[in-house]
Amino acid sequence: MRILLGLALIALTGHAALAQHEIFATIVDDKGKPVADAVVVAVPADGGLRLPTRRDAVVDQVDKEFTPKVNAILVGTPVIFPNHDNVRHHVYSFSPAKRFELPLYAGVPTQPVVFDTPGVVVLGCNIHDWMVGYIYVSESPYFAKTRADGKAVIADLPAKSYVVRVWHPQLEGGEAATKRSVDVTGKRRVDVEWTLKLKPELRVRRSPVGEHNGHY
Amino acid sequence: MDAQPSVPPARRPRDAARARAAAWALAMLLCGAGQARAEWFYDVRAGGLYDDNLTRAQNAADERGDGAATLAAAGGWFYAPSGGDGITLTFEANSEAYARFRGLNLVSIGGSAAYRHKFGLGRDVPWASITISAAHDDYRSDIRDGDRLEARLEVGRRLTDNFDASFGVATDRRFARNDRPVVPGISGKAFDLRGQSVFARAAYDITDRVQVGGRASVRRGDVESTTRQNLDIFLASDAIAADPTFGSDFFAYRLRGTTATANATLSWALSERSSLNVSYAVARTSAYDDLNYLSRIGTILLAFRY
Repeated sequence: MRILLGLALIALTGHAALAQHEIFATIVDDKGKPVADAVVVAVPADGGLRLPTRRDAVVDQVDKEFTPKVNAILVGTPVIFPNHDNVRHHVYSFSPAKRFELPLYAGVPTQPVVFDTPGVVVLGCNIHDWMVGYIYVSESPYFAKTRADGKAVIADLPAKSYVVRVWHPQLEGGEAATKRSVDVTGKRRVDVEWTLKLKPELRVRRSPVGEHNGHY
Repeated sequence: MDAQPSVPPARRPRDAARARAAAWALAMLLCGAGQARAEWFYDVRAGGLYDDNLTRAQNAADERGDGAATLAAAGGWFYAPSGGDGITLTFEANSEAYARFRGLNLVSIGGSAAYRHKFGLGRDVPWASITISAAHDDYRSDIRDGDRLEARLEVGRRLTDNFDASFGVATDRRFARNDRPVVPGISGKAFDLRGQSVFARAAYDITDRVQVGGRASVRRGDVESTTRQNLDIFLASDAIAADPTFGSDFFAYRLRGTTATANATLSWALSERSSLNVSYAVARTSAYDDLNYLSRIGTILLAFRY
């Protein structure tokens, strides 16, 4: 009987420790509109990070734009930059988190680029100045990107307390100002909402400008 | 000034052969473009303009204003031989149809070749470009028919994410096709012009959709002014032709002058490939001490790029 009770206790304790929790994030701007392409990152408050095996990520180039425009990856992830346009691109970044350059190329580069420092990496193309893309390199494996409806789910979270923060390319003020403490212990799902103040998106204009030539 | 019978211009076989050779070379370049991962583009611009002094006249009584519908289509090819260099070849056709002064109705075909170099990597590095363009203008009024050449050198830089500026120099040449003198001993090629200019321009993106732009230029060279008979202008001009577009008593005079132009444009991006553009330009020309004229041009254009 004692043995059976002991086994049941172990099973219950183990289940509690392995139970998977999720943070359900909703992000809107100061006008109440859903914010897409925001990255939500949850970092265990105790600092204990067990990094999973990294898989290659892809930032594509289609119709002379980076696709996806915002990509969130785990630190150390190799990223390949296939070019699916029928013209060549010259991809670069000057961001402190990763400085690199893929000189003028077509097709798929033979070597991926490994992003080994957490932070935001801004991508550009030296041929098409309007092309801009972002790679958010997360130090934590617990992150998600909001969909068009402004919602994102960070799933498979161990029962812990987390510091959760949000980043967006147009975020006004620092990412640190968005930090929240979220404890998922004892709850299957925790809902968290952010209202972000966003800067206007200003990037090199792609659309044509019409001019008329006069005469003398 | 008695009108002289017009003499059809002699065809110049050498010029025609040169033009054919240039067209052939351009066609060969374009044929090779597809294999070089070149980028094709197509532009269409449609809209209208109003010019309040088409005659470029000083006296209010000689000024004529009119509006025109405009349509332009261009196709081109862009090739990047390296990450910092770009070559663009463009073919273009333009047309203008005026409401009152039909002699100004124009069909123009031409092309341009441009080379642009960026001094480094990034959006905000300085760049320089050289552009050579040529066009043939066919007006309903024959004395305006001719060929145009322009060479332009420009340097610029994007100073912030939403502000860029450039400046440059240009030289232009317009070859009048028809010589119809009305005064013995004085050329009838009033529209045979040449000039040099300096210009600066800037564009500022107010939002992700709205851009304001400005351009200022000063051009020194030949200008054409159409007025009724005017002794002062006659004495200052070096070519005169009858200009029946504005009336049987109007004459086109070629003069040396300086034109300062200021242009402001408001461009609203309708999509990544289209925009609505409204612009206003003021040009003041000083041809000599006693002749100054002002013209104002307003345009509205829908621009598409594919």
